This record gives sequence, C-alpha cells and structure tokens, in this order.
Amino acid sequence: MDITRRQFIKSAAAQSAVATAAVLFPGISFGAWKNVDSGGIEWKKTPCRFCGTGCSLLVGVSGDRAVAVKGDPNCSVNKGLCCVKGYHSIQILYGKDRVNKALVRKNGKLVETPLKEALDLVASKMQETIKSHGKDAVAMYGSGQWSITDGYVASKLFKGCIGTNNLEANARLCMASAVTGFLTSFGLDEPMGCYDDIDHADVFITWGNNMAEMHPVLFSRMLANRKSKGHVKIIDFATRTTRSSQAADRSIIFRPQTDLAVANAICYEIIRNNWVNWDFVKKHVSFHKGKTNIGYGTQDHFKFKDKAETVDFEAYKAFLADYTPEKVEKMSGVPAKDIKYLAALFGDPDKKVTSFWCMGMNQHTRGTWINNLVYNCHLLVGKISTPGNSPFSLTGQPSACGTVREVGTLTHKLPKGVVMKEGARKLAAKIWDVPVENIDPKPTYHTVEMFRALDRGDIRFMWIQVTNPMVTMPNLNRYRDGAKKDGRFLVVSEIYPTPTYDVADVVLPAALWIEREGFFGNSERRTQHNEQIIPMPGDCMSNTWQIIEVARRMGFEKQFPWSEETYIEDIWNEYIQFHDNPKHRMAPYKELKAKSGLQWPYVNGLETKWRYNAKYDPAAEADSFDFYGKPDRRAWIWLRPYEPPAESPDSEYPFWLNTGRVLEHWHTGSMTRRVPILHRAVPEAYVEINSDDAARLGITNGSKVKVSSRRGSVTMKASINGRGLPPKGMVFVPFFDESYLINEVTLDAFCPISKQPDYKKCAVKLERV
Amino acid sequence: MPVFSYLAYPVQGSKPQLLNDLAALDFCEVTPAENEEVLILVTDTPDEKTEKELQKKLKEIKSLESLGMTFGHTDE
Amino acid sequence: MEKPKHKVDPKIGKIFLIFAGVCILALPLVVFSAFSSEPKEMETAVIEAQSMDFDHNGKAIFENFDRISKDYIEGTSTERTLSEYYSRRQYPGSPPEIPHPLEAHGINLECLTCHANGGWTEPLKRITPVTPHPEQVSCMQCHVWSVTDKLFREIDWKSVPPPRLGRAKLPGAPVPIPHDLQMRGNCIACHVGPGTVTAIRVEHPSRGNCRQCHVPETNAEPFVRKTKS
Repeated sequence: MDITRRQFIKSAAAQSAVATAAVLFPGISFGAWKNVDSGGIEWKKTPCRFCGTGCSLLVGVSGDRAVAVKGDPNCSVNKGLCCVKGYHSIQILYGKDRVNKALVRKNGKLVETPLKEALDLVASKMQETIKSHGKDAVAMYGSGQWSITDGYVASKLFKGCIGTNNLEANARLCMASAVTGFLTSFGLDEPMGCYDDIDHADVFITWGNNMAEMHPVLFSRMLANRKSKGHVKIIDFATRTTRSSQAADRSIIFRPQTDLAVANAICYEIIRNNWVNWDFVKKHVSFHKGKTNIGYGTQDHFKFKDKAETVDFEAYKAFLADYTPEKVEKMSGVPAKDIKYLAALFGDPDKKVTSFWCMGMNQHTRGTWINNLVYNCHLLVGKISTPGNSPFSLTGQPSACGTVREVGTLTHKLPKGVVMKEGARKLAAKIWDVPVENIDPKPTYHTVEMFRALDRGDIRFMWIQVTNPMVTMPNLNRYRDGAKKDGRFLVVSEIYPTPTYDVADVVLPAALWIEREGFFGNSERRTQHNEQIIPMPGDCMSNTWQIIEVARRMGFEKQFPWSEETYIEDIWNEYIQFHDNPKHRMAPYKELKAKSGLQWPYVNGLETKWRYNAKYDPAAEADSFDFYGKPDRRAWIWLRPYEPPAESPDSEYPFWLNTGRVLEHWHTGSMTRRVPILHRAVPEAYVEINSDDAARLGITNGSKVKVSSRRGSVTMKASINGRGLPPKGMVFVPFFDESYLINEVTLDAFCPISKQPDYKKCAVKLERV
Repeated sequence: MPVFSYLAYPVQGSKPQLLNDLAALDFCEVTPAENEEVLILVTDTPDEKTEKELQKKLKEIKSLESLGMTFGHTDE
Repeated sequence: MEKPKHKVDPKIGKIFLIFAGVCILALPLVVFSAFSSEPKEMETAVIEAQSMDFDHNGKAIFENFDRISKDYIEGTSTERTLSEYYSRRQYPGSPPEIPHPLEAHGINLECLTCHANGGWTEPLKRITPVTPHPEQVSCMQCHVWSVTDKLFREIDWKSVPPPRLGRAKLPGAPVPIPHDLQMRGNCIACHVGPGTVTAIRVEHPSRGNCRQCHVPETNAEPFVRKTKS
C-alpha cells in the first residue's frame, strides 16, 4: 500500500467513525485541535505583530499558552476587526523548529551553546574587532519590527557608547523615501493626518499600493465608508491589476516610473483650470527646486547631496509645461481623460481627497520625488491637515515609525535630530550620560552601502536583529557572498531558522512579540503597548535585554543599569525625554499600558489628530495652518521632473520585474509559512505572467519558467489569471518563499536622496523550462 | 495491511485512563470526543499477525468497556 | 287563578331537534378531522369547499416531489455537524476556511449572493450557511482556502475545547450563550434554518428576542457577600 492510498483509507476509517458517532450522539464534537489542560480564557491586548496598520488584538490566554484571538473593540484603528494573519498570529509562536537555544558555529556547523557563553563571545568579538580595525568596523542592522526599546538601546550602545554611526534598519528598504519626502516637503517626519480621514473622505486614491491585501483592515474601513455614503469613489492608480483594482470604482494602469509624470500632469491640469486654492497657496506654500540627473547608486561609494533653490509659482507653472495630459498619455499609457478626471477630483472644492501609498512610491529610484509630487497635488488645492483631506503615507512594518523613525536607528539620526548637528549630539550625550565626543558627527553607511562595506571588508562584525537580509537585499548574490567571506563575523538574533541564520556565526534565541513586554508605533503616530503575555521558551531573551547584556560585558554598565523587572518602563521613561515638546510629546507609560494605543503628539492628555492645523494642533502658532517644520513655516512644493528608471526592459531582457507581497504572507515568510492556514492558502511563490505574453511564449498556468536578469535567475511556476494580473510586458513575484530568492534577480539601484532601493523595476527575460 | 476504526466506550468515569491506555499502544491513533464519553480509535497494522496481537492487547485493557467497529479494510 | 299555558311551537321544536341531530353527527367528524390532519391540510379543508376528498389533497405531495431536484432530497443540507464546523477553524471563533472551490480570482464581493440569506446552491448541491456579519464585505481579508494539505514545518498547536452543549442550569431551561458575541450578534445566522449545524439548530425561531431568555455565560465566581459585622 503506498503512502497516499494508506492515508486515504485511514482518513476514510476515521470519517466513518465520526459519522457513526454523530448519529448515535447528536451534537458530538471531536476537536479539530489538541486541547489545553486548563479551562477559561483571559484576554490581553497587544498590537498585531504584522503590518503598519497597527490593529490591536485581544489574545486569549489559557494557562501559559496563547489559544485564541479577537479583534480589540477598544482600538480606533480596527474596532474589533482583523485580517487572516492577525486572527492566526498567535500560531507563529508554536512552530516546532523554534530557535530557543543559543548556537555558535564550530567547524562549520551551528552547535547549541549555553546562552551566557554566546553572549560572552558576541561582546569579546565586538571588542576585538574594534581594537584591530577601529570602531567603524562593527555594525548593527535592525528592523522596523524591532520593539521601541530594542532600537533605543541599540542606538545608545552603538552611537553613544561605541561611537559609531554604523546603525541601520530594514526600514531603509521600506520607508526611507517616505521619510525624505516628509522632510523635504514639510521638515518633519510622519503623516499630518490620521485614520479618521478614512471616515471623512469623499475620494480615495491608492497610488501604487495593493491596499486590499497589504493594509486590509484600513481598506475595509474605506469600503464601509463607500457603502454608507454612496457617492464615495475609490480610484486605484497602479502598474498591475490586483484585488484593490477590482474593488475600486476606477482602475488606472500606468507604465512603471511614469507616476512622476502623471502627478505633474495632474498639477498642470489643476493650474490650467484655475482650481488652485490661492488663499492657501499664497499663505502656506513656497516653491523650490533641486538637482536633476541625480543617478541611481549602483556603484560603491555613490554619494549625492541635493541643493535646494527657492523659486516661485511662475517658475513652477513653466516647469509643468512639459507635463500636459496629452504629452504624459504618450509616455505613461494613462489616457489624458483619466488624468483630467483625477485632476478634477482634486479641483472640486466639495470633495475631500485622501491619498494612500506605500511601497510602489517608496521602493522607487525617485522615491523622494514622487512623494513630493503627490504632496504637490494636495498642496495646490489646500487639501491637507483637515479631516478627510489627507496625503497619507502608509507604513509597511508594525514599528518602522515607532522604532526606526522616532528613535532614529539610521546612520545619520539620533533620537532627536541628526548627528551632524551639535545641539542634537549634546542632548543625546546628556540623556545618555556619555561624553559628547563619543557621538560621531559624520554618518557612515546607509543599508545597501553597509552591506557593500561588509563585502569589501570595511565592516567585519555585524549584529542582525528581527530581519532577514539574506532574503531581502536586492542583488542578493553579491551581499550573501560578501557576508560569507572570511573575516566577517555575523551575530543573528532569530526566532526560526532562516537563510540569514544559515550564514550566522552566533545565533541568539530571541523572545517573540508577546513573550516580552514591548511597544510598537504604527502609521498614524499611534504608540501601542503590550505586557508580557506568555512566558519565553527555552533560553530566549528579548532583543533589548540581549543588547543590555552585551553592553555590560563591554564595560557600559553605567549606561545600561536597569533591572529585568522594570527595564522596559525605565527605558521608555528615559527615551521620551528626547521628545518632550508639543510637536512630538509621547504618552506616559501608565496610560499606554491601560489604553489600546495613543497618538503623539500627546499634549495635556489629548492626542493631536491633525498636525499643522491650529484647530487641532497645539504646536501650531498661527490661526489657521502653520507648517512649523520648515524655517519659512510653509509647506514646500518641489519641482521634480520625470527621470527614467535605472534599468528598463530592452531587446535582451524584455520584461519588467515587479516584486511584492500577498495577503497571507508577511515579508520573508519565516513566521507566516509556519501557520498552517496561511501556508495552505499560498504554499509556494510563483511568477505572475500576463495571459497574452504567456500564450505567445507557450507558458501555461503552473508550468515552470526561468526568470533571469543580468544578475541572477530563479526558476518557478507560472501563475496566469491568478489573483494579480500584470499588464503585457511585466511579471510579478512575491518574495515570501525562501526557496525562490527573487532578490537574486533584482537590482540594487536606489533613490539618491533616501537611499531606498527600487524593488519594483528591473529588466528580466523569461524562458520556458 | 488491516485498517480498522472503532468507537471505544470507556468503563464509567475512565475516559482519561482509556485515552492514555490506547495512546500507549503501537499502531493506534486515538481521538477523544469533547462532550461525550466515547473515543475514536483507528488502527493500522502492517500484517495479519500484528493485527491479531493488537486485538489481544485491546481485550486486556481494563478501562475499555466495549468497542464498536465502524470501518474495516484489509488488502487480502 | 289560571296558570298561563306555555305554548310550544311544534315547528320550532322540530327545527331544534334536527339542528341538535346534525350537531351530534357533525361534532365527532369536526373533532376527528381537527386531530387527525396536519395543520396545513386542515387549513386547506377549511378554506376550500367542504369536500372530504383527502386523496385529492394528497396529490400535492407528489407534485412537490416531482418538482424538487434529486440532489436537494439527497443533499447534505441536514447533516452539518459540529465536527465539520470546527474542522474549518483553528480555535473557537477563528474565521473559518472556505471549504469549497472558487471561480473568481480577485476580491469576490459576490460571496454574499449565497451567504447573505443562505438557501440551496445548485452548483455545490448544499444549503449555504448564513454569515453573521454581512456588513463586512472584504471577505477574503479573513477567509482563505487551502490549495494543499501539506505543512511547511510542523507546529505544536493547542487551544481551548469548543463550548460544551447542553449547559442549561435546570432541566428544560434556556441554555446560556457560551460564545463571544463579537462578530456573532446575529443569532439567526447560525441557529436558524437548514444551513445551520444540526446540533445547535433551534426549533423555536419565531420568538424574535433571543436574549430575553438566553444570556451570556461568564466565568464569574458565585456571589458571596463580604460580611462587615
């Protein structure tokens, strides 16, 4: 009897028994899962482990296990609803191959080691590297999924104590262009609106993001708004057809990179039809231009510094003459009438417009520019900082805002300000109790350059926490080979074996999510707290405590004095000193512990929902709008042109390669693939191919295809007429499956201002296998 | 390879004991009902000889009141 | 003095006698028909002409039988078991997996064509369960379907057992509500009609105000007064 037939017969046998039992005992139930021993469930709140929406969950705890999930009805973000990942999130805690012991590589193999010994090794290796090669030979690479205290102690250790700016996080690959977009347009990071805008808007535009799958709970709120108000329109502006396109009232497809031109064309139309809100523009907007022809960063040591030049409205109007709808139609494939339709929505004074965007605009070689250009559309008509009028940059990860951006775990940042400014260094030195000379005023490497430095040997020690760069670095072959070279020492804090774990010299077992007390900060400036809900397995330790243990071994006991009982609260209290002003004040620990999230600025017990609007923002000094982030207290409209992508399809490599996610899987799948219902829904990655292209190449659904670029190739199954439909000449691959490392094919070109790589555009060819 | 399934009825009050006794046997998979005093037993032995031995062992279980067969399959 | 003679009208007396006779004859028949027919048949008999032709009425059964499809009669509509219900979930209250194949690829807002009101679905030959939360229209945000039964890695998963049935505190008393009402406040969706799990189907759906008798069961300790003196 072969295995499958035997399994079938056994399952038939079991079903017979169940059916008989059901007849004899109506109402009988055989659990679909193993039972815990104790009865009764206690519900505890936590932010969800996954996307930047920041839903609050109630985790059902029985004994010392998480057994059920409900949406938290007390949280304004999701009001009791989750998505399939959130509802099954607690199952990520129970994969059988969980890393719960420290491992050290000896003779090429990772061997279980007592945790204390591993921590000693990490500290001594760091000290040894600093002694032989200097402080800038050690580095830390963290994450937008780091809890806030993880990032804080990392910054204190590396920037305050060791004195190196080699601190980066994977949010560089996710949100950097959004950050530089905010800083160039407004002078301050993070959205000025909030999720309440969803309930007030009349028009929603999604700019290159598949919100139905990536921020599903927010998308449901949009659908609910449309259903209740009737006249509400959702427009999906994207490079491929997705579930979001299917739900939208209108789906507009554009050629990759031409979003730059379309956004300018919308502004051209607004001006041509005299829809400009002159009252707003004259008082609150100024016009600027920067450098052009700014490059793509594909070479080592690429440097770029922009130069701002103040211009005026007439210069802006003249600049837009190249972006008439008719001219832009030719290059973008978007019909002029659709461009005019979008402009009319912005121009209609009775329509409140909310724009959403995420990776389509941020993972872009002109990511800063396209962020500026969408702000321009809103600024010309004054549709900003009021309920429903909201250019809203959605964050991908649960705490890219809370940790990476607000704590400042990037090479140039400090918790308040940048390393280049003396005032910021002095403040950090004071709060951290370190000599101000420790803090280096010169930034070192952004993420891509940091992995290039590791490859070159300028960095010899790297500590990686809560991220999987051996799956996510673009042009992966180079960076994986670089990490594996002799003389490179990699420490990886992990929860499950991954391709990054596979190249580690030391693996430290990390506590996961609700196994430790923590904080996340979501897209709408809302900080959320969870207490430790279940015990940590084996030798696991929170990332924060791991860093503290290593810091103490390196001699920094004074700066890391806290006790294991209260360290999270103590660190929070130390951290929020940096932000103690009405533009950024954080909520106190006790209140965060009690409530399902609080927004900052948190001033006099009230959340600031809309910034820069004196009606809602106590930090605004004027009587209407006050864009206090900029020295001229105005929002900046930038003259940003269209420039082509780093690598476009040509005769040898005739297809665009686009990459991204699916609803069921988070990032590299190390958590979600171990959740049965999520894995069974999408067990394997695939390449989406347009049906006409497939027919022409003789490719059928499920047949094997080799996807190759100048850098690498991956062979995978084709998906034709699946859930996403690329246009002719484009293919799409989700990156959750470590068996299909699509980043071996992508290109490490980036936005010269933000340094964020473009994962959405490079050139590939397809071959039937 | 004989495959059988049964409803296993425990001696009054002995459902947990019966669950342990059956789970301890080779070639046996047990699923208890949540809300009734009955369990499902699926046996899968490699040959007739082992099947006969298993039958003997089952008869010796003190917590087992009775077995009702609900499915039977042999290859012969 | 003369007693007045009570004049008895013989005509009236005869009519009265005949009337009484008819009553005596008819009464058993009325009683008999009241107790022997199905309510529907009794209605028909009262509304239509007073024909005693039950055979004529019985024809309706055969006409109905011919009209209904074989699949409906043989379908699985009355066999939704608790085990089947829980086999689609990972813990009590988790969003169930979609157990049937889907034609559409994208956001299928047409789930509600079957799941809003339930009813017989010809393509799948079963009666559809009704969603307790039709206001949520992005169905595939929470409900997914399996394309494989294999796992990527083994998982050590446990959860609390589903609530036991029959928890009435007194014989015949209304059972308490053993589950959370979040997303499940519409009792009719899961407890009324042929698409429901047989074990929890109620036979008294016409009593509209469910929570006048059925109250949520919490884990609260019994009340004990703390004496002060």
